[in-house]
Amino acid sequence: MKRDQINIGVYICHCGMNISPKVDVEAVAEFAEGLAHVRIARDYKFMCSSPGQEFIIDDIRQYGLNRIVVASCSPRMHEATFRNACETAGINRHYFQMANIREQAAWVTLDTKEATAKAMDLVAAAVARVTYHRPLESREVKVNKSILVIGGGIAGMQAAISSGNAGYQVYLIEREPSIGGHMAKFDKTFPTLDCAACIMTPKMVEVGQHESIRLFTYSEVVSVEGFVGNYSVRILKKPRFIDESKCNGCGICMEKCPIKKIPSEFNENLSFRTAIYSPFPQAVPNTPVIDPDHCRILAENKPCGACEKFCEAGAIDFNQQPEHMDITVGSIIIATGFKAFDPEPLVQYGYGIYPEVYTSLEFERLNNATGPTGGSILMKGGDFPKRVAIIHCVGSRDAQYREYCSRVCCMYSMKFAHLVREKTGAEVWEFYIDVRSPGKLYEEFYNRVQKEGVHMIRGRVAEVTDILDDPENSEDKGRLTVVAENTLTRRMLRIPVDMVILSVGLEPAEGAGDVGRMIGVSSDGNGWFTELHAKLAPVSTVIKGVFLAGCCQGPKDIPDTVAQAMGASGEAVALLSKGTVMTRAEISFIDPDLCAGCQTCVEVCVYNAIDFDEGRGIATVNELLCQGCGSCAVACPSSAASIKHFTNRQVMEELEAILI
Amino acid sequence: MNDQFEPQIIALVCNWCTYTAADLAGTSRLSYPSNVRLVRLMCTGMIDAKYIIKAFLDGADGVVIGGCHPGDCHYINGNLKATKRIYGVGKIMEQFGFEPDRLRLKWIGASEGLEFQKNMAEFIETIKQLGPSPVKSRMIL
Amino acid sequence: MYSVLKSEKGGVFAVRSLLKRLLTENMVDAVFVAAKTPYSDLPMPTLISSPENIETADPLAPVAPFNASRQASILLRSDTGKRLALVLRPCEIRALIELVKLKQCVLDPAILIGIECKGRMENALFLEQEKQRSGISISFYQDDNLKEMICSACNVCDHFQPVGTDLTLSVFGVQISTGIGVEAESETGTDILKKMGYSDVQPPAEREAELRDLQQQRLEAKSVLMEKTAEDIKDIKRFETLIANCLNCSNCRVACPVCYCKECVFVTDVFAHEPELLIRRAVKRGMIKMPTETTMFHLTRLAHIGHACVACGHCTSVCPSGIPVADFFITVGSKVQDLFDYEPGRDINEPIPYLVFEEENQ
Ligand SMILES: Cc1cc2nc3c(=O)[nH]c(=O)nc-3n(C[C@H](O)[C@H](O)[C@H](O)COP(=O)(O)OP(=O)(O)OC[C@H]3O[C@@H](n4cnc5c(N)ncnc54)[C@H](O)[C@@H]3O)c2cc1C
Ligand code: SF4
Ligand code: SF4
Ligand code: FES
Repeated sequence: MKRDQINIGVYICHCGMNISPKVDVEAVAEFAEGLAHVRIARDYKFMCSSPGQEFIIDDIRQYGLNRIVVASCSPRMHEATFRNACETAGINRHYFQMANIREQAAWVTLDTKEATAKAMDLVAAAVARVTYHRPLESREVKVNKSILVIGGGIAGMQAAISSGNAGYQVYLIEREPSIGGHMAKFDKTFPTLDCAACIMTPKMVEVGQHESIRLFTYSEVVSVEGFVGNYSVRILKKPRFIDESKCNGCGICMEKCPIKKIPSEFNENLSFRTAIYSPFPQAVPNTPVIDPDHCRILAENKPCGACEKFCEAGAIDFNQQPEHMDITVGSIIIATGFKAFDPEPLVQYGYGIYPEVYTSLEFERLNNATGPTGGSILMKGGDFPKRVAIIHCVGSRDAQYREYCSRVCCMYSMKFAHLVREKTGAEVWEFYIDVRSPGKLYEEFYNRVQKEGVHMIRGRVAEVTDILDDPENSEDKGRLTVVAENTLTRRMLRIPVDMVILSVGLEPAEGAGDVGRMIGVSSDGNGWFTELHAKLAPVSTVIKGVFLAGCCQGPKDIPDTVAQAMGASGEAVALLSKGTVMTRAEISFIDPDLCAGCQTCVEVCVYNAIDFDEGRGIATVNELLCQGCGSCAVACPSSAASIKHFTNRQVMEELEAILI
Repeated sequence: MNDQFEPQIIALVCNWCTYTAADLAGTSRLSYPSNVRLVRLMCTGMIDAKYIIKAFLDGADGVVIGGCHPGDCHYINGNLKATKRIYGVGKIMEQFGFEPDRLRLKWIGASEGLEFQKNMAEFIETIKQLGPSPVKSRMIL
Repeated sequence: MYSVLKSEKGGVFAVRSLLKRLLTENMVDAVFVAAKTPYSDLPMPTLISSPENIETADPLAPVAPFNASRQASILLRSDTGKRLALVLRPCEIRALIELVKLKQCVLDPAILIGIECKGRMENALFLEQEKQRSGISISFYQDDNLKEMICSACNVCDHFQPVGTDLTLSVFGVQISTGIGVEAESETGTDILKKMGYSDVQPPAEREAELRDLQQQRLEAKSVLMEKTAEDIKDIKRFETLIANCLNCSNCRVACPVCYCKECVFVTDVFAHEPELLIRRAVKRGMIKMPTETTMFHLTRLAHIGHACVACGHCTSVCPSGIPVADFFITVGSKVQDLFDYEPGRDINEPIPYLVFEEENQ
């Protein structure tokens, strides 16, 4: 077996005065000349300068060199420079190895002899290694210039709009009948108290009418396959029982529907809706849906058809079936948002026991102009409350439930306090652990609310009870008592109130875990999706081409949600704009002849970069997903997996050259 | 122990943290004994048991493995996956007379040039105390 | 459920009739069991489908030419829809379970029939003894002299009771000349015994004591062996003396039931050295033994599968140079297993230690 002739050129850099006085560069060059396969070894003042590179290029051409070693600075500094020079001269860019004799020898060794000896070892190691380098190529792969957005809250809407504005085809999937998410339920938003509907509705309309956005409401993603640039996605469209192309949104059907006593989810069950319904008046699309669990025809098979009778557009279709749609996208943005913590398990707060204990979302609806009371903050009996308690951190910052801070509750609690004072003049007590108001204008808002006469009491509430301190006091009749310690004054308080609002924390949306599993994005212990890097890649995920926006990644307010949505969209667009993605060269390779099919590698790869080919019984690497971490190579008990450019052979030769 | 003994140390380090820390030690001119030879890998999770065995059998007096702190691995958890493997090899080598102290696993972050310097100096000192590797006097493999 | 299978002709016949009924009553499509072929007295793993051929089955013979788990795993490579009964020794079952974890085979089609094992003899010794006296499959269980003849790995084996089986053939506390005990370990096992009309009886009174005694005896022997071996390998020079005659023939690797790589790294180009390198090594060291990498081979194999070593001893049995491979695999392997609190073959759901890692470390 004849091997190809290997001709190595070795270049020792003086780096001006940085390497050469400490390391005897001439001696190192002479030493290198004596190493196996070395054809030529030289030293030069600045290898990275243009003349330095020219040197290498000329030698490659003149002496037929096919491996290059440069002993100079760190490869983190100039590896790319010299690889490019190799390529210019016509040899593969991976036929190159760098010996770091500046950072690892000249700069850190006191003795000249020792520094020179170390430099020689490092050069010997690089020469031994480069002998076994293989030519590697990266490949360009075409991408599909379209983006899937899952979740139609403010995050998903913004991501869709930004991406659509950049000219990309966007598919926005929302599982509810309308887009809008939680923000659609609010009347005012902190800290500026601008009207949520005023800033939200135009965005919803924009999404609905955008030429680049295809909206799928009442739909869910059921499977995702493929990889960056080429994801095949299957969408399930649940039947609305209304032909969207015919419906003109007149709403007569809802008036005529005889089933009128269904608790309205959108209004947090504080009012009723009909069986054919639109969750709220500004819904986008404004096509209603028929709730098959309550419709007389669909649920009970009883005669009715009131809606059908009155629908002039003839849009009602009781025979609609679930529909599957298949699309291909290049990138995915997850924006599945959050759900509010259910306070029932915290029995001490009396939610579900006392009618005047509300969750924050219920209060948002109570305060909303389109809500059950038309925006008047009224108790169940129809009176204005005179005394209101707001309890912070319900479910949050509590080792028993959610350890984390939900970030928005302090702020929205103070928003509530302001609204209660403004609309009813009632006295308000806020019970907090710490007030967290970091954010533009947030601290100012806190100060404002305090000035408005809200009692801020530092202390966790022990109990909400209907046992009154002074049952004789007729004014307190029917009131609840909030029991807490004011930890600043060390006094126990028992405050009679008319209404209690629980500022519940945020949890990942129902089903977020399934979405994650489908796509391969992992979640932290609390269920929030894990970003690729907490600081430097906050909207990316380990899956290339999949990004995160909004509360699905962790609790946050609207400004942060929108910023992140724009960021996610920017990343997705940046990825797709070139039209192709390059594969990495230094990635895993699984030798099909050696693979025993144990799938150990599939298990260890955090990037889901390895597929198991059931037919052939072997594992295969997806070159677009593999990051070249090498976990599979060490885990593979068959030595079938190896990392290109970091093969066993290459590393072991390096070791041997140093040690023998 | 022998004053003349200058141990040979192999450092298997990940590109993103400990190799970078070594570069930083260089740019900060933090000198340390010249006995250490760095072998650059992309991640500690890529370190094969064979590398450690080979280093010892070929005469390394000590092997130090340097990677990112838990949670900082560039590839999420390569360092955590490496840990068990390295302990496993260490346990095996121990049975054959390689003292456990000859193999060290150390997380040194990219900004920890000083830590790098300190750890190398300290490790070399430890190995000097232990004396030459038991394979040193062999001539047949 | 514990039952007694009686036969005047002895335990082997009782086992055969059980296996035969599995076939005739269509509970399985075939039986995988050690059986004598017409060509040799050495029982080989055999796949039997016709009830008459069950007469050749000899699972109680104190010999195992190799660890049958590998052959079993070939049969269980995928679920073919056919039911198979596999009669295996404890070390074979434990190896099989490791292979299942490595997705080399599946257990769905299998009815596992484990044998309580008192040890095996080396092949040559068995053949010699078999020639001298017939009916060794019975006398082995009665004659204490024969028990002394089991191979060194068996001598220190404290896993003589199989785990994870459907049925276990029980030899402890039983007069093997009159039959054999059988214990159902799973629902499938119980169903089989019930269908065959066996009744649930108390296990013989002597059983527990016998098991306990053997356990103690084996553990003592094991700690003696481990101490001695630890001494023999305690520095690399001693170890190299121990393996000095290694030919790099790879017999041990081939015999190893858990070393399942299609192609061992030691035959790949990772270790195909260039002549320059070998000469360079010789120049540096004065001389080198060839083939090289013998020490590397054994240490690497330990690093690869030390955690999974089931201590069956077949590596020692096949070594042409008489190197006690199993001794140092058992000794070092148990250190690794202790480190990870892992026991190969203990539980099919116990993950391979290198594949799970703690989020918090150090
Ligand atoms: C009571 C309360 C008051 C608040 N007040 C303010 C305020 O005044 N100012 C402020 O800045 N912030 C406020 N916030 C925070 C604000 O609600 C969030 O920042 C914001 O709603 C996050 O938007 P999002 O799109 O990430 O999530 P969401 O609004 O939860 O939207 C997620 C959307 O995704 C959909 N979805 C979920 N899963 C799927 C799936 N599998 N398939 C398809 N669709 C799916 C959901 O139906 C929903 O429409 C408040 C929060 C609460 C709880
Ligand atoms: S190198 Fe890392 S990313 Fe690539 S396939 Fe292997 S484990 Fe996955
Ligand atoms: S770990 Fe190795 S043998 Fe197992 S499936 Fe992956 S490549 Fe194949
Ligand atoms: S990249 Fe440094 S340990 Fe993984």
